[in-house]
Amino acid sequence: MAGALLTVQDLSVGFLTEQGLVRAVEGVSFDLEPGQTLGVVGESGSGKSVTAKALMNLLPSYAQVGGTVDFDGRDMFAMAANKEKHFWGVEMTMVFQDPMTSLNPVKKIGEQIAESLRVHLGRSRRDALAEAGDLLEQVGIPEPAKRLTQYPHELSGGLRQRVVIAMALACGPRLLIADEPTTALDVTVQKHILDLLDDLRRARGMAMILITHDLGVVKGRADEVMVMYAGHTMEEAPTATLFAEMHHPYTEALLETIPRIDTPSHTRLVPIPGRPPEVIDVLDGCPFAPRCRYSIARCLTDQPGLTPHGAGHLCACHAPVGTTSGTQARSANELAGTTATGLDMAQFARKVSVADPEQSGAAG
Amino acid sequence: MVLRVENLVMEFPVGGRAGHHQVVHAVSDVSFDIRRGETLGIVGESGCGKSTTARAIVQLPPPTSGRVVLDPGTDQEAELTALVGEDLRQVRPRLQMIFQDPISSLNPRRRVRDIVGEGLHIWAEESDDEQIRAKVDEVLEAVGIDPTVAANRRPHEFSGGQCQRISIARAVVLEPEILICDEPVSALDVSVQAQILNLLEEMKSRYGLTLVFIGHDLSVVRNVSDRVIVMYLGKVCEVGGADALYSAPAHPYTRVLLASAPEPASTVDGSESAIGDEIPSPMDPPSGCRFRTRCPRADGRCATEEPVLEALDDDHFVACHYPTAAGPSGA
Repeated sequence: MAGALLTVQDLSVGFLTEQGLVRAVEGVSFDLEPGQTLGVVGESGSGKSVTAKALMNLLPSYAQVGGTVDFDGRDMFAMAANKEKHFWGVEMTMVFQDPMTSLNPVKKIGEQIAESLRVHLGRSRRDALAEAGDLLEQVGIPEPAKRLTQYPHELSGGLRQRVVIAMALACGPRLLIADEPTTALDVTVQKHILDLLDDLRRARGMAMILITHDLGVVKGRADEVMVMYAGHTMEEAPTATLFAEMHHPYTEALLETIPRIDTPSHTRLVPIPGRPPEVIDVLDGCPFAPRCRYSIARCLTDQPGLTPHGAGHLCACHAPVGTTSGTQARSANELAGTTATGLDMAQFARKVSVADPEQSGAAG
Repeated sequence: MVLRVENLVMEFPVGGRAGHHQVVHAVSDVSFDIRRGETLGIVGESGCGKSTTARAIVQLPPPTSGRVVLDPGTDQEAELTALVGEDLRQVRPRLQMIFQDPISSLNPRRRVRDIVGEGLHIWAEESDDEQIRAKVDEVLEAVGIDPTVAANRRPHEFSGGQCQRISIARAVVLEPEILICDEPVSALDVSVQAQILNLLEEMKSRYGLTLVFIGHDLSVVRNVSDRVIVMYLGKVCEVGGADALYSAPAHPYTRVLLASAPEPASTVDGSESAIGDEIPSPMDPPSGCRFRTRCPRADGRCATEEPVLEALDDDHFVACHYPTAAGPSGA
């Protein structure tokens, strides 16, 4: 733990709306060491992007932010209050989901990359453009000299995302936040972009936060994974540990509900019933309890905190998967046919549907 | 067989001065059959023509050329591409569609009961309001929406997953022969995706549907499909039984797709994903095989001679001069 680059403690973000205070992020803490990748996994509304925006100082002024963020010994919120100009965009940068809307459509690509070099590092126009060309080459764009004078619409989605990455790398950041960097891209391009980010991170010794809704994307790419749900951290562990012995029922449910490329067709998927909660007002119990197979009476009243389960493995659950209490809770629920929150256990049974195409067709 | 597509071509004119129009070759000479009661998956990246193919089947808009025949060889036979106006309208209830974005595909100003019941009001022979009401309730219940609570609400009061259930109810209420699903789960969260996929399977057996399932997620397409068509730049690369195609992919493009998935399929090597990013323009597609500009196996023959679909076995076809031989080693 010698010298974490980024230490986030008890980060919370709320937005006051007409319906009440939306608690988008609640009590999120993590450390990130130099050169490491943290994968943040969650569905829409889990708070993963709000966490990223909080770190990038991009939240609207009405957001209620709490907690502390320490970047290499410096208090980040104090820097934000002092209107520090050369931190965001220099030491900490971000790549967004949609490369088209991240780029200015009426400015040439070279100008856009050069801009941050000129503003933050005081390069001359000519030097900045030369450096921009080098950056384009580093991110694997063919004919970089020609691309400098092109506009974003002249490039494919994959190339545009490479340009956005080049912009993010321009000032040599120590931390790169990539928020769903490949969600808008085709699958063959997605792999290339993720590989590129990985290579650049290694070559530059840069730390990275990789935000995604896809557990498959972080597997094998992140050192640590944090699973978020309804603004809370559910589970955090080194990637290999997480996939080998996950403890949170939500993590387990996510993996079981996603079809796998190697499982035969018509394998019945185990659904996660219901939908994510609206995070308005304080939750009494565990936010996942209403959808959870393991839920017990305590989950409704008592919000579980993160507790350690082995080296570097944290999990917020009263009845974790793979522990005695978890196994007991699940078999008790199976026996009763229902969970503490009233979920019908029958829907979780995994069965293979045997549909005979010709026969079922006759009914119509 | 419930539907036959023959030599389907879809071209869209774009820009240029009069007499110098360029043409986007969205779908070029695609033929396939859909068997009664099956789920046919169509998979490919954006711009491959999978959605255009689906829309051409329902004549929205009609294809540039080619034939689409519903129920060929039966007394219900209808050649959709030869029908216009009222004749085409009469066939429409036999084909229904659901779309990617469930919220924008429902009219925000109408109540769920009216959205789902509209088809019945137009088509039901005995348009008795009570019967229609009962039928709408039955279908809503079947898709997991409680009609007593939901029927009088409007779409904005529902989540994306619930809106997709309502779209499915609207499509199946007329008991169509074919339900075309154009990326029905792409806009949904992963925890809701499985609910909708399981629901589609239930609806399929309950109403005896034939599904055409268009998707870009290879795992999802395998899960729902009996047979899968892989498309690239307006052409069919490979067709086969879902499990056969995924366990012994023969076309280089199919192999690239399987290798590019976040967790690559075990039947291919992850390094097979190493191809160029640039998809050629559909206005000026490459000569010969359209995949040759990105294909690791392409040679001179691929540039001059267009590969046609050839049978690897009874139910597995590939359009490639150098397909991967089937077999356990299959490299």
